[in-house]
Amino acid sequence: MSVALGLALAFAPRRVWPLSLVTFAVTATTFTIAPVPQGWLNCAFLGCWISVAASAAIVHLPDGLHPRAAFALSLNDGFWSGAVIALAGSRPDLLKALPCVLVLFPATLIIGLRARIAVKVVSSWLIAIAVLAATLQFLPVTPGYLPDHVN
Amino acid sequence: MGTGLAGGFVSGFRHPLSGSDHLLAMVSVGLWGAFLGRPLIYALPVIFPAMMVGGAVLGMFGVPMPPVEIGIALSVLVLGGCIALSLKAPVWAASLIVATFAVFHGYAHGMELPSAADPIGFSAGFVLATGLLHVLGICIGFLNGRRGGVVATRSVGGIIGGMGVWYLYRVIGR
Repeated sequence: MSVALGLALAFAPRRVWPLSLVTFAVTATTFTIAPVPQGWLNCAFLGCWISVAASAAIVHLPDGLHPRAAFALSLNDGFWSGAVIALAGSRPDLLKALPCVLVLFPATLIIGLRARIAVKVVSSWLIAIAVLAATLQFLPVTPGYLPDHVN
Repeated sequence: MGTGLAGGFVSGFRHPLSGSDHLLAMVSVGLWGAFLGRPLIYALPVIFPAMMVGGAVLGMFGVPMPPVEIGIALSVLVLGGCIALSLKAPVWAASLIVATFAVFHGYAHGMELPSAADPIGFSAGFVLATGLLHVLGICIGFLNGRRGGVVATRSVGGIIGGMGVWYLYRVIGR
């Protein structure tokens, strides 16, 4: 999620970066410590993966990321990140996840080298991973658990 | 993101590398894209992982498919042949060829998704490895700009195509 947000922000005006990054960090932290109902676990993961795909897809917008959209995206991504960590992780996981948004800087450098297509290609891989991960939730059992001829 | 134990990110990353057929096909996608130029040099490394995920989903749900091993062997043969012949397919045709073969490769990955510590990490690993193999193919394709480079890369394509014939022979001959 952090990586997807970082890549999306690379296509936003620089002036929105501080607010977006702070918004993401504060929102994620808030929902990490908020009492999120345990029954929301599957929903949180699904929302998280959908948000990853949506954030990664934003790099393909022809006009980049609008400042208000950047703020909204940061809020959204922070919410789902925090919820997932609260339900399925531990608070130190937040410290591992948040810095990943700093992929924003190498992405910006690559864009500055007029190789933005590389960022877009990597974002498409993220979308693929997100779609696959979201689908796994609906899988009753991974194929490896299915009984083989020995069983 | 995965424990690195059996079935985590590291296992997933290694999965496309563990089979020479997977590895050659994915490098070929990038290499053929380099021959075809824009926009396919960028589009093919996007199309293949995306469709591969679709194939993986089919594999995970056990949807019946034509023999996957034949599809994978054919992918190596066809893609190697396209490189060897320096075939300039139109965008829609190249995309369709790559997308079709990607489904077979994804199906194989999905069928083999382990009862893992981390199936999500495994999935992320094989998608990332696939993309990086495409990039490797593109980098090899940059040799085309050097003296004798086209002959060299077409020769590589010929070897890959020959390997595809071998894989197909092995699969059909069983």
